[in-house]
Amino acid sequence: MSFVDILGATYAYRNGVDSEIIVDRIDWSVGEGEFHCLVGRSGCGKTTFLKVAAGLLKPTEGAVFIQGAPVLRPSAKVGFVFQSPTLLEWENVLDNVLLPISLKRKVQAKDRQGAAELLALVGLSAYAERYPSELSGGQQSRVAIARALIVEPLVLLLDEPFAGLDAITREELQNDLLRLCRLRRTTVLFVTHDIAEAIYLADRVAVMDRGRFRHALTVDLPRPRERNVRYSPRFNQLCLEARQAMDAP
Amino acid sequence: MVRRIYSAGLLILALAGWEAACSLWGVSALVLPAPSAVLRALWSGLASGYLLPHIWITAAEMLLGLTIGCAVGFVCGIVLGENATLRQVLYPYIIASQVVPKLALVPLFIVWFGFGMTSTVAITALICFFPLLENTITGIHHIDPEKRELFRMLGATPLQTLLRLKIPAGLPVILAGLRVAVVLALVGAVVAEFIAGRAGLGAMIIASQGMMDSPQMFALLVVITAIGMVFYQATLFIERRVLRRHQKGNDP
Repeated sequence: MSFVDILGATYAYRNGVDSEIIVDRIDWSVGEGEFHCLVGRSGCGKTTFLKVAAGLLKPTEGAVFIQGAPVLRPSAKVGFVFQSPTLLEWENVLDNVLLPISLKRKVQAKDRQGAAELLALVGLSAYAERYPSELSGGQQSRVAIARALIVEPLVLLLDEPFAGLDAITREELQNDLLRLCRLRRTTVLFVTHDIAEAIYLADRVAVMDRGRFRHALTVDLPRPRERNVRYSPRFNQLCLEARQAMDAP
Repeated sequence: MVRRIYSAGLLILALAGWEAACSLWGVSALVLPAPSAVLRALWSGLASGYLLPHIWITAAEMLLGLTIGCAVGFVCGIVLGENATLRQVLYPYIIASQVVPKLALVPLFIVWFGFGMTSTVAITALICFFPLLENTITGIHHIDPEKRELFRMLGATPLQTLLRLKIPAGLPVILAGLRVAVVLALVGAVVAEFIAGRAGLGAMIIASQGMMDSPQMFALLVVITAIGMVFYQATLFIERRVLRRHQKGNDP
């Protein structure tokens, strides 16, 4: 068994007597410390799949295992980053990062220190006392990532977290995310509709279409990734491969 | 700023026109007293201290009714907002209690609570109850679905979700309900005094009518308007203070 195992995961949305299959018998494994991306058009079921993996949705059939233990409900083992930053506007940045802890127990000095370190890692030390409305979109996304990492989850799931950002900010955030996950050896499953983003970030990419994984490819680009990789022939080759898999009937 | 000057200029212009019309056509003071006569009545009422106890009584009734009504409305809004079954069972009764013209209940309240403050406070509270109830239910329901999922992901209990997410996120809507309640509370208190009051500005209006003292009636209207403006502005101020951290788009 791998670190994360998804076995025959199916999710059907029941609408009266009819049921529509959103996620269709998916098998997938993620090794410890690996970074996997899931790419597909909007409406292909990738967000639903990610929510099943997180334990937010109960699969109709099949199961998700982390370190061999079945995922039956959301747990602190799994961190989730949503499409929008989902920060609490009435709490400052530091309290937002500490939210997962403050919901579990009393926040201690070492927690504050941990949050401050994370904020330093995402370059937001100066913003700890600020409020979300004073931050740019990219900064808000950074806070959301720091919040997901504060409880040191074994697995981090991200659902198109950079979709709303401009291209340059997105590249910065991709690099920050890669750095953070390397540092903490976090296992990552990242959902996106952007093929180039998937190839740049991932060790392995799954192409999803109409509820099924149509294609899987291993990204053999050198690590750590840096900007020039984006312009290499191998990178483009991989992008094309993913694109063709997506277009296949 | 310029608009404020225009706004004040309009008032002065209207008052001057009113004054001129009264002296030009010799309108009876019983029908329409000139602004100067109203001002004299107001001044003598305030200077002699004759009006002051009535102002305190009306303000106290309003504040008491507002506090009780809003507190009960808020708590009921939370309970009904959190419990769908209870909401479906009780909502028709709450609607029924609200479409009954509440001022029509004053005579009944007099039987129950007697003339005076208790009846007026009870009516005012009843009037303030609904906007808070309605807005609290709406406020704690219209929460970003992703934020709800975030709290679920973080394993928050229902109470934690209520206190840390739903109430703070619903505050803009809840406080808008408070603003509506403030305006209704003053109307409720004054009109309830018409019927149930032995003292207070509403009772004074009835007394002035009995004495055919129109300038005093107008003076009382000025005082009531002023009280309403003060309370409304105070609510607006509190609202801005509380919501200053919320997203910019939510500014009142």
